[in-house]
Amino acid sequence: MDGWLIALVSLIVTGLFILGVPIFLVIGLWVVGVSIIIDFTLANVGVTLYEGLNFFGLLALPLFILTGDLIKAAGIAKRLSDFAYSVLGWLRGGLAMASLGACGLFAAISGSNSATTATIGSIMYPEMRKGGYDKNFAAATAAAGGTVGIIIPPSIIFIVYGFLMNLSISDLFIGGLIPGMLMVVAMQLTCHIVAKRNGWGHLIEFSPSRVLGTGLRAWLGFLAILIVIYGIYAGVFSPTEAAGVTAGFCLLAGVLITREIKLKALPDVLLRSGQITGLLAPLIAISVVMQQILSLLGAKAFVTDMLSLLGGYYAILFACMALVLLAGTILESLPNTIILAPILAPIAMSIGVDPIHFAVIFLVGDAIGFITPPYGLNLYVASGITGIPYFRLLRYTMPYLLALMIAWLIIALVPQLSTILLFHEGAGVFQTDIGG
Amino acid sequence: MGATMQVLRWIDRNIEKIVILICYVAMAGIIFVEVIRRFVFQSQAAWSTTIPIYLFLWVTWIGAAYNTKIRTHLRFDEVRMRLPYGGQFACLCLDAFLWILFGVIVIVYAVEQVQLSHDNFAIVQGTDDVMQWWFYLATPVGWSLLIVRALQNLWEDIQTYRAGEPFKLQVSMLGE
Repeated sequence: MDGWLIALVSLIVTGLFILGVPIFLVIGLWVVGVSIIIDFTLANVGVTLYEGLNFFGLLALPLFILTGDLIKAAGIAKRLSDFAYSVLGWLRGGLAMASLGACGLFAAISGSNSATTATIGSIMYPEMRKGGYDKNFAAATAAAGGTVGIIIPPSIIFIVYGFLMNLSISDLFIGGLIPGMLMVVAMQLTCHIVAKRNGWGHLIEFSPSRVLGTGLRAWLGFLAILIVIYGIYAGVFSPTEAAGVTAGFCLLAGVLITREIKLKALPDVLLRSGQITGLLAPLIAISVVMQQILSLLGAKAFVTDMLSLLGGYYAILFACMALVLLAGTILESLPNTIILAPILAPIAMSIGVDPIHFAVIFLVGDAIGFITPPYGLNLYVASGITGIPYFRLLRYTMPYLLALMIAWLIIALVPQLSTILLFHEGAGVFQTDIGG
Repeated sequence: MGATMQVLRWIDRNIEKIVILICYVAMAGIIFVEVIRRFVFQSQAAWSTTIPIYLFLWVTWIGAAYNTKIRTHLRFDEVRMRLPYGGQFACLCLDAFLWILFGVIVIVYAVEQVQLSHDNFAIVQGTDDVMQWWFYLATPVGWSLLIVRALQNLWEDIQTYRAGEPFKLQVSMLGE
């Protein structure tokens, strides 16, 4: 009886989702409905919406959101873009490849995807137009480049994933480093081929002094990257502390050194970050409640049974990947993560996939969802910046989508890409023993 | 009377912004300063790992109300944007109803928690006299504000519907 009622509630909230009811409410009402059916106290909702977020590691989330907004305001993003161009400008398609490289550099300081697309897109799109690129392709480059924003550390979604799945956020960050770079290189290669075939872009001569000059001008950016990556890698900071230090550093750099942050504009930057926090954190909180209900229902055992019928390691791994990709076509990365990760991650661990490796696979799939229709967030962002219609943009993004899919497959098949940097005890591979 | 209205209007426009700004600056500031203090002076306040989390919770729930106000909560829009006018209006009314329904549930149980913490004189870890219930208030206060915002939106939508003008159904997106 309960089973049918739960199915009915699930069906109703799916209907609400399709009608465009906010995802927070969709999950929240499901939780309330199922709690009533299985006679579980609703007080849990009131308590967990607060206590569920009461975790120091989660503070990295609002702080890295702020960092992304600050490096843009401080003009550091522009300097990093200039540097990338001076390095790659001599290649056919070099400017667009530089945009992708700049996305990678930006992603190494900021934690978010749409901020990456929006920032690098608004800086590099006009440059690419001037540089003789097709405008559709230029906009598609910005949309695709943003996907690495959540893979190259720091990453907001990694923080959420680590929080929900009880994994070390530092380890996750390190795990995303090589796969993120692989994604950038895969897209750059694609870009080079497409630009070469169409003869797009003016070439500039490679000049070491220019590389040095732009590199020096971008020193603040490199220092910020160093703080984040070295700080976390060497265990000097926790991710939360690294986020706090980077945010403070970018603010001071923007106010005192580049002088591009005007104190009067600061409230707007903070408010924007606060708004995004108010968008993401409630979803995380409600997902904690959802997880409690799911475990009460024994949902994991059910899905595990279903999937284990599929067969062995690769069959299950690919089924998980297909699910992530499918859900990513209609869901934003965060809802996708909070709904699917608690279900899929234990399954993957039960067949012996390293938890950090699976997290990377999961989140790369999530990132690819940023440029898949019908709901491709980056396409909307890039379309908003450039004024190019959504569906036309979609067509020009296809080569990048293909490149990312191939990179994804490689990341899934070669666990070492995600785990090789995790050599310290207690990290990565070591943990599968517990799960398996 | 006019002055009171003016004050109310000002609060209506700015309440979320002010709370978010104060809490965000305090949260980020405490963490930044304390990490530096740990490195340079090898000392750190005991409350520097608890108070920022509580401030984060204020940003979260007041931020949720703010996103309701500016209609940016994440949702799947594709179907709703293609519905006929009356259907869109019905969906907007449904949103308001569901926000209020869920909000009331949250407030009822969150107030219980605040009450409990208040009666037990629970203090924040690492402090001597900072009461925990000040921070627990974030959930009921945030959700009360969110309900007010949902009602305001509903009112606006009804006016729009009466005037036969198109609804604000922009695509919600992260960070833009």
